[in-house]
Amino acid sequence: MAQNYTTPLARAARIMEIIIPCYMFGKAWGIADARTVDLFRAMFPPFLIDIAEFFKRIMQTDNANIQRFFSTMSGAIVGFVVVALLALVMHFVLRDRKYLDSLRFTSVSLIPIAVLNGTLSHAIKTLIENMGTQTADALYASTVSSSRGNILIDGTFYLTAMWMMGRRTGVSRGRRYGVIGVGIGFMVIYMALGLMISPGEWQALLPKLQQALAHH
Amino acid sequence: MTITKQRFVTINKYALWAAIIVYLYGVFGTKIIQPGIFFALAAGFFNLLHQKYFIARPRLAAHIWLLPAVIGAFTYPVLMEKQPSGQNTFYFMLTLIISLIPYLQLIFGKTEEQPPKKERLKVISFRIFTQITVFMLYSVLTAYSFIYGSNVALFFWGMFHVVTVAILPFLFGRVLCGWLCPNATLQDGLFKNMTYPRPIPKLPQAIEEQSHSTAMYLSGEVDKNAPYFPFTLLISWFPMFFCETMFDLTGDLWYPIYFMYGLYIGSLLLPWRKMCTHFCWLSSYRGIAAHGSLWRIRYNKSKCKQCKVCQAEKACPFYIDICEQDNEMPATCCLCFSCMEACPFEGVITFKRSPEEKARIKAIGGKAA
Repeated sequence: MAQNYTTPLARAARIMEIIIPCYMFGKAWGIADARTVDLFRAMFPPFLIDIAEFFKRIMQTDNANIQRFFSTMSGAIVGFVVVALLALVMHFVLRDRKYLDSLRFTSVSLIPIAVLNGTLSHAIKTLIENMGTQTADALYASTVSSSRGNILIDGTFYLTAMWMMGRRTGVSRGRRYGVIGVGIGFMVIYMALGLMISPGEWQALLPKLQQALAHH
Repeated sequence: MTITKQRFVTINKYALWAAIIVYLYGVFGTKIIQPGIFFALAAGFFNLLHQKYFIARPRLAAHIWLLPAVIGAFTYPVLMEKQPSGQNTFYFMLTLIISLIPYLQLIFGKTEEQPPKKERLKVISFRIFTQITVFMLYSVLTAYSFIYGSNVALFFWGMFHVVTVAILPFLFGRVLCGWLCPNATLQDGLFKNMTYPRPIPKLPQAIEEQSHSTAMYLSGEVDKNAPYFPFTLLISWFPMFFCETMFDLTGDLWYPIYFMYGLYIGSLLLPWRKMCTHFCWLSSYRGIAAHGSLWRIRYNKSKCKQCKVCQAEKACPFYIDICEQDNEMPATCCLCFSCMEACPFEGVITFKRSPEEKARIKAIGGKAA
C-alpha cells in the first residue's frame, strides 16, 4: 500500500487538500462590497477584511465576473496565510511529520471553521436582503444572534475533527491534547479579535448601513 | 412467463425508464405531471434496489407497482400544472400503463430463483428507504419549482447543503454519497443494471489506483504522507467553484439542475459508481471533511479470515480494499454497509470495534488506540 502514496496523483492530492480548505476558510473575508464592507469588518476580525480589501485593490478588472473571482481569491490568500501561521504552531505540537503535512492536517481540520465563516457571511447577505422588512432589532436577532449557535456547533466539530484526525494519523494521546489546545487557542484568539457583530457595533453600524442602502 | 433474474431487472428497469422520461418531459416540456409518476419512480427504485429479495417473490414485487396506479387514481383530479389543461385522463392513463405493464408481467410470472440465504441487514433497508425518500422529495420539489415557477427546489438544495456540508461529514463522514445523493440512487437502482458498453469502460491506472491509495491506518504503520482523498475527486470541485463564484449562481434555480444532471450524464459514461469515486464535484469538498468524522464502519482485522468476499470490485461500490484497512474504513467510504452484508462471518465488519481488535492494536503498540 505504502508505495501508492508516492504516486504523482497522490502528491497532487496532498496539495489540493491544502488549497481547497484554505480557500473555503478565507473566501468569506474577500466577498465584501462597498455596501457590506463595514458589516464584514464588524462580523470578522477587521484587519483580515482590510488585508483582503488591499489584495482586491491590487487585482482590479472591469469584468464583474472576473472581479468576483478576484474578490474570493483575495480572501483565500488571507485564509492561506492564516492557516500557514496556525500550521507553524501545529507543526511544533505534532512534531511527527513534515511541515507540509502539518499544514495539511491544519487546513483539513479547519473545515468546520470554514463552514462557520461561510455561515456568518451568509448571515450578512440575509441581513442586507431583509433590511427594511423587519425592525432593526428583530433583524439583528434573526440573523446575527442566531449565528451564535453555529459558533458553538462548528467550534465543537472543529475540536472533534482535530481529535479524530490526530487519532487516524497516529498522533499519541498526549500530543492530541496539545493539538486540541492549539485549536481552542485559535478559536479564543479568533473570537477575541472580533468575530460576530456586538449589539454596540450594530447600533453604530445601522445608520451607515441604511444610508449606504439608500444610495444603491 | 418465467421470471429469471435478468427478466426481473429488465421489467423493472424499462418501467422505471418510462417513468423517468414521462417525468422529465413533464417538468421541462409540457409542465404537467400526474402525481402517480413520483410513485412509479419509487416503485422502480424499490424493486431494483431490493432485487435479490424480490427475484424469488415476483408477485410481491408486482404489488409494489400497484402503488403508482392507486395514487394516480386518488390524485386523478389534481394534476401538477400551472393552468388547468383538462388532460387528466391522458396523464392518468399514462401512469396506469407505466404501472400496469410491470404489474401484469410480474403477477403472472413464475420463478425458480431462491431467496438469498443471508437476510438483508436492517441498516441497508433503512438506507434504501432514505435514498428513495430523498430522491422522491428531490424530484417532487424540482417538478414543483419548474411547473409553478417557485424557488422551493432551492430550499431543498439549501437544506441539502447545510446537512451535507455543515453537519453530516463531521459525524459520519461521506454518508451523503451512500444515503442521500439522488445520483447515487439513480446509479444503484438503474445505471448499475444497464448492460450497454460504457463509452469510457476503464480509467487510466493512475486514476484507478487512487481509490486503493487513500487508506489511513489507526494502528500499526501510520503513513502520515497518505492523501485523505483522491486527487481527481478533489480537482473536480473546481468547475463547480468557478461557475458558482464567477457567475454568481447561488440562488439560480438552474444551478443545481446543471450540476446534478451533469453528474447523471457523467455516470452514464463510466462504469457503476466510478463517477462518485473519482470525479464527483458535489462530494469533493464535503468528502475531505470526512477525514475528521467521529464515527466510521469498523473493520475488525483480528477476526477477518481474508476470504476477499468484500474485495473492492465485488462488494464495495467505492472500490475500497477492505482487507487492506486497519480498524475502520477510510474517509472515502460512503457508509453503504454493502461490505457488512457481503461478509460471510460475524463480527468482522461492525458498528463497534471488538475487544479483540482493541487488544490487537494495543499489542502492536498502536499509539492511537
